[in-house]
Amino acid sequence: MANVSVAAEWQLLINRYYRKPEIYQMRWKHIDLSRNKIACAPFGGPIAVIRDDSKIVQLYSESALRKLRIFNSAGVLLSETVWKHPGGRLIGMSWTEDQTLICIVQDGTIYRYNIHGECLDPNYSMGKECFEQNVIECVFWANGVVCLTEAGKLFCVMDFKEIKSFKLGDVGIEAEEELPHCMAVIDPQYIASGNVRVLLGIGEGIVIVDEDEVTHIEGEKVQGPVQKISVTRDGNWLACFMHDGRLVVMNMNFEALFQYQCESALPPEQMVWCAMDSVLLYWDDMLLLVGPSSEDSVRYIYDEPVFLIAECDGVRILSNTSMEFLQMVPDSTVSIFKIGSTSPASLLFDALDHFDRRSAKADENLRLIKSALPEAVEACIDAAGHEFDASRQQTLLRAASYGQAFSSNFERERIQEMSKTLRVLNAVRNPEIGIPLSIQQYKTLTAPVLIARLINAHQHLLSLRISEYLGMNQEVVIMHWACAKITASSAFQDAALLEILLDKLRLCKGISYAAVAAHADKSGRRKLAAMLVEHEPRSSKQVPLLLSIGEEDTALMKAIESGDTDLVYLVLFHIWQKRPALEFFGTIQARPLARDMFITYARCYKHEFLKDFFLSTGQLQEVAFLLWKESWERGRNPMASKGSPLHGPRIKLIEKSHNLFAETKENTFESKAAEEHAKLLRIQHELEVATKQAIFVDSSISDTIRTCIVLGNDKFASKVKTEFKVSEKRWYWLKVFALATVRNWDALEKFSREKRPPVGYRPFVEACIEADEKGEALKYIPKLADPGERAEAYARVGMAKEAADAASQAKDGELLGRLRMSFAQNTAASSLFDTLRDRLSFQGVP
Amino acid sequence: MAKVSQIPNLDNSPLNLRSLREQSQRELVNILKNVRGKKCLVIDPKLSGSLSLIIQTSVLMEYGVELRHLSADPLETDISKIVYLVRSQFELMKFISSQVHNDISKGLQREYHVYFVPRREVVCEKVLEEEKVHHLMTIGEYPLYMVPFDEDVISFELDCVNKEFQVDGDTSSLWHIAKAIHKLESFSGLIPNVRAKGRCSVRVADILTRMQTEEPVNSHDMGIPEINTVILLDREVDMVTPMCSQLTYEGLIDEFFHINNGSVELDASILGAQQQEGKKMKHPLNSSDKLFKETRDLNFEVVVQVLRQKATSMKEDYAEMTSTQSVSELKDFVKKLNSLPEMTRHINLAQHLTTFTSKQSFLARLNMEHTIVEAESYDICFEHIEELIHKQEPLISVLRLLILFSVTNSGLPKKHFDYLRRELLHSYGFEHIATLNNLEKAGLLRKQESKSNWLTIKRALQLVVEDTDTANPNDISYVFSGYAPLSIRLVHHAIRSGWRPMEEILRLLPGPHSETKRVSDVISLPSSTYRYESINDVADGRRSLVLVVFIGGVTFAEIAALRFLSAQEGMAYDVMVATTKMISGNSLTESYVEKLG
Repeated sequence: MANVSVAAEWQLLINRYYRKPEIYQMRWKHIDLSRNKIACAPFGGPIAVIRDDSKIVQLYSESALRKLRIFNSAGVLLSETVWKHPGGRLIGMSWTEDQTLICIVQDGTIYRYNIHGECLDPNYSMGKECFEQNVIECVFWANGVVCLTEAGKLFCVMDFKEIKSFKLGDVGIEAEEELPHCMAVIDPQYIASGNVRVLLGIGEGIVIVDEDEVTHIEGEKVQGPVQKISVTRDGNWLACFMHDGRLVVMNMNFEALFQYQCESALPPEQMVWCAMDSVLLYWDDMLLLVGPSSEDSVRYIYDEPVFLIAECDGVRILSNTSMEFLQMVPDSTVSIFKIGSTSPASLLFDALDHFDRRSAKADENLRLIKSALPEAVEACIDAAGHEFDASRQQTLLRAASYGQAFSSNFERERIQEMSKTLRVLNAVRNPEIGIPLSIQQYKTLTAPVLIARLINAHQHLLSLRISEYLGMNQEVVIMHWACAKITASSAFQDAALLEILLDKLRLCKGISYAAVAAHADKSGRRKLAAMLVEHEPRSSKQVPLLLSIGEEDTALMKAIESGDTDLVYLVLFHIWQKRPALEFFGTIQARPLARDMFITYARCYKHEFLKDFFLSTGQLQEVAFLLWKESWERGRNPMASKGSPLHGPRIKLIEKSHNLFAETKENTFESKAAEEHAKLLRIQHELEVATKQAIFVDSSISDTIRTCIVLGNDKFASKVKTEFKVSEKRWYWLKVFALATVRNWDALEKFSREKRPPVGYRPFVEACIEADEKGEALKYIPKLADPGERAEAYARVGMAKEAADAASQAKDGELLGRLRMSFAQNTAASSLFDTLRDRLSFQGVP
Repeated sequence: MAKVSQIPNLDNSPLNLRSLREQSQRELVNILKNVRGKKCLVIDPKLSGSLSLIIQTSVLMEYGVELRHLSADPLETDISKIVYLVRSQFELMKFISSQVHNDISKGLQREYHVYFVPRREVVCEKVLEEEKVHHLMTIGEYPLYMVPFDEDVISFELDCVNKEFQVDGDTSSLWHIAKAIHKLESFSGLIPNVRAKGRCSVRVADILTRMQTEEPVNSHDMGIPEINTVILLDREVDMVTPMCSQLTYEGLIDEFFHINNGSVELDASILGAQQQEGKKMKHPLNSSDKLFKETRDLNFEVVVQVLRQKATSMKEDYAEMTSTQSVSELKDFVKKLNSLPEMTRHINLAQHLTTFTSKQSFLARLNMEHTIVEAESYDICFEHIEELIHKQEPLISVLRLLILFSVTNSGLPKKHFDYLRRELLHSYGFEHIATLNNLEKAGLLRKQESKSNWLTIKRALQLVVEDTDTANPNDISYVFSGYAPLSIRLVHHAIRSGWRPMEEILRLLPGPHSETKRVSDVISLPSSTYRYESINDVADGRRSLVLVVFIGGVTFAEIAALRFLSAQEGMAYDVMVATTKMISGNSLTESYVEKLG
């Protein structure tokens, strides 16, 4: 039976089965791994191959120049380029997460290549010290590297996206013999501090190096010397190969979990973890799989060199001719295919076989598993996912679908979902694409990252279809395509290319035309960029780009249209910097919003420049305002102590401002005011000198008059009054209140008799009431002409009877009501008001 | 004591303002989480009011925050991570720069983060660059475009929209307003009807249309839009209403004690709390306080009566208590007792308010406002204002009356204009030439150039209503005891029938108007194509919602009038108010004041 042959290929390690199906026959020709340095990216990524210059090899008919070649995982050549970098031997080569190939040479220079074999600018260096000391070993993790130099120093790059090298803690190695036997790195993302941690096999023990800390683990504890170290992906377990051929697996506290005695005491050429379960060791012609205890091992014999690629769920084994995938057989697969299995899943799979052969046993099988059917269906679906062979995937899914027909309570979407996933996986596993992802790798990697990788490899059509199929946003794909198209189409006319691009860009709503335009501009196609940016609906994207392609006037126009003042400022500052002042003024004067925004900014920051602007555009009154304002700033300046000659320049500024205002007819009022202000300051200055009191400057004319009267200086008060033609009305109010402030009641009375006050006696009454001088108030209340006013005044000093009399004289019902309210507590008074009001309303009836 | 929180309860809001607020909370918390460890959060003082309506300070503390207000002074703290949360304002940039320079001069090495509210702006970063501190900053944004003030009130918290637009020509706020409305649409669906009156409003409507083409609100998955109509109104269109003294309970509290971010700060003794004399206490004022919700929009005269009634009925209940024995009656009584502290507080507040409202000067002022609005006795008004200036009454209150006077007269005759301005400068100082210049540019205090059409407007819209019954009002005029706010009359017409039937009147008021019908995914029709449909057709029993946006601010009295409208029979809509800021005549006038010195 088919089932038997499946399990026949498995090997049992203790209680777990392992299998290593062949995924690809390598398409390449004449590649001998043993002659080359190899870098394979995990997650089925590309393979970089370059002749190993540390080995002596026969060249046959090859050129002496070395070539860096990049293949996909099926051995299809993606790109090649001649390697002619200086800096000594190539020491380390590895792929980063975003599939950039990092190459580090002896002098510490880092060269970077993309998947298309193009060397990326700029090159970086690991630093001066590294340059002087020579790199002898590099250990990479997903996005970083640690380099060991001849002098035993460690240098690190934490992130290849932002290359900055720094030195790690010094181990204190002095002589060459003391150099470590081996080295391993724990990915920073698994260390609490977020820093990288390096493990070195030195002497008998292990040395742990952190960014600034070095910890020695003594020989007794480790029982070294350690010849080779490998760390699990999550940084929790260590596999150490000792000098005496023992393989010891320990935790991070260096407590041994188990050890296994190998036949050879020679350290293996390669040693990697197979997922988290076992360790795979490689010597010349043999692979040895050990774990998770000391009892058992599996060995595979090879007659050609191999290269091990650790994946999250197994190890890929690359040889000159094939790519295999070693993994622990998943539980679901075991339950179906294990020899002699009677699990429901196995019975279901068998039932399908019977059904296909129209055997009644199918039904019998189904009856047997009845209750466990959902579980069996689930196992078949899961197992299908783990298969690389499309026909076996199909059979398993058919078995699942067959079982599902008899099971009512099963989520039907599961089969659909799995078929969808498998379609994607099979598509990328196609040798032409060459990405042999297992289902678990795919889930770890996620679909968006897979699509990003496909795009990066210029597989636009496939990635577009996959994202469409999975219902993902296609914007990334189309955007990348458009940029790649522009790069590749230098021969196309702008208009023709624009049509091709628009045709595809329209597929995706909300795509950033500005980003494509920016790429066009970077590729030296400014005209195309301008044409593209026209189609960008978002002003916030459009305007900056217009600026960068030198279309400032259009940018300004678009910014103003958008109503977004932030964009207006952006353009404004740009033009300001680029154009001579006069031209700049001309540009903004024509556009009110730009002009006003400029003025707002300049008011705060560029006074002098603003003055130039107003002068050049003939807005003299604005200049005058600025000068006037400046005069106050002078006044506030602590250096300008009051009464000092510094008032001179202040007044000069105000006078200048007065003259400027006088230039235009519309500003006569302001001109006059400035003139008066200058005059006031002069008089106040005189007053301060005369009174030896610094209390006048910067108070208003009215306040100056009041102060003078309060100080008893009537002469000065009158002088100010005449100088500024203060009206009699205002004069009376000011003087009355000033006299009341100093409670000079005699003077007040005298003042009231000077002549008939032009504002009546109200100021006198109010001033006295406010000062709480009822007696004084009563001198003036009877003189109030209006009976209503009189009534209110009486009420305010609490004289109900008089108030009532006056109110009835005024014949104002509303007033009476109000007065009654204010005398509410006083019953006698309120009844008085009631009677009066009644009488009044009675009168009111015609 | 049942304490009312300053953060309003939004459960009864016609829009899902709660989720809006929660989003703002989350965004703020994320900012704090992004800066690991202890940090000193330095807040723009103006923002702290908004934040107090979004999140409790105690929550901020949970994220290791030490709170400071941004000022010109150096920052005193031991913490090395500084997070600035600021609006995009030049002055604040100067403060930040000077604090950083101070740190540098002391040799302090700190980590600086600047979060701009609501977004980073080139011009501010330019200032930081010129101050040579930009490279030391990590810059981010806190997109707080609006703050829910109450169930039916949102504020964009923009201080001086009117002044900036009219005087400086600065339209930054308009983009902000459009963005906020657009953001609201992403919650509630594309608003199909947009009606705008005034220069700012029409521009905001334009920008809103642009935003819809740039970043469409996807209304397919949202069903019927929750907001049926947005009415945008410039404050400029109606400068009369805010200049009149508000006479509703809430309006008066604002006029006399100033309501700040939904709460009023008073002497503890006034609110009846047993605390030491002179200590200030915050009293939240929002609809979570049931008694306040009931009384806030009533004319103050009536409020006193209502409170008295409540107190009396409570007293009666208490008397009955001695005779009743049933447990359920007892329970009811205790329930009523729970509202006692609220009641005491409002009675105290109302009493305190009465001491101000019964002053002769206040009554005289009301009288004068009324005379100006009546616009039939020019000389009396002119002389009254002249006298106020001569008496050197507080400048703001004088200007407020003067603006009312000038606006209703379409400016003052040149002779009077120059005379009053001169008297102002003489009385209050020449530095106020800048204030006068601002008011003139804004058209609030200007030379008369044509005959005033205020009388026509007043008559056509029935702004002055005789015999207003403040206790049982049947018209919005009750909020000003006889004057119906122009703004709300306009809104009423706009809701009822759109602009079309009243275009004649609209033309008499400042600024253009527009009316747009928007359909999602299709570019909206231009305003020239009028189409009226009855818009009161919501099937599921919920009332359709009208969003009224006041650009340049709204007063409490106007909101009261809107609530009154929406509660009227035959009104098919709930009304939601959005404003750039809660204003009173004083705060609005103050925004134009600029001293040269």
